[in-house]
Amino acid sequence: MFTIGKLAALATVSNDTLRYYEQEGLISPTAKSAAGYRLYDQDSVRRIRFIKHAQGCGFTLAEIRELLELRGRDKACCGDVRTRAIEKKLQIENKIRAMKAMSKALDQLIADCANEKQPVKECTIIAALERTSLSGDTVIHEGRTVL
Amino acid sequence: MKVELFYSPGCSACLERQAELRAAAQAAIGNVEWREVNVLDSVDQAVGLGVVTLPSIVIDGELVFTSIPTPKQLRKALIKRNRGRA
Repeated sequence: MFTIGKLAALATVSNDTLRYYEQEGLISPTAKSAAGYRLYDQDSVRRIRFIKHAQGCGFTLAEIRELLELRGRDKACCGDVRTRAIEKKLQIENKIRAMKAMSKALDQLIADCANEKQPVKECTIIAALERTSLSGDTVIHEGRTVL
Repeated sequence: MKVELFYSPGCSACLERQAELRAAAQAAIGNVEWREVNVLDSVDQAVGLGVVTLPSIVIDGELVFTSIPTPKQLRKALIKRNRGRA
């Protein structure tokens, strides 16, 4: 059994992070010491490593909670986890596409501003940003049902 | 009308409902072109259509369902679109 400090050192996270994970229901102490300190077991170390790794793959804490629930569910299969991983990949690819469109829109603005010594009042970038819309669609599609 | 169901291989919810939804679509409108698309084979197409959750249903190039509908919901959506076309 580990105290929060020991657990933090083992999992290389801060005590505050662990308290936050606990507040979010991602980990919980398995016992309390005679002095009333919360104690954690080896499974908590595994859970924290799981959380950190999943965060590195782009999963939010809410999604990680679902993955942890799946991990403990008897009827769940690898296909369920795989579907979540594929959905995360689609979200990331979607963001990459949106970011590329933003980058392209910036390229256009930069190219349009040929004279960098012009007074700021005549700055083409500022003028373009003031216009209601820019060319180039940078709308990020969020998952929604349209009926 | 073209209906594309984007699914993840191994998704039990998708497999259970596919046949049922296909039958509902075909019963709702006569001229339905039904495609089941493994999203891993068509990531670019899926991203272009805004598919981020699975399964998703795209009708004539428009993302209409981002989760699995009931056959009744699909039927209703198809009939409504078919009427709009006429």
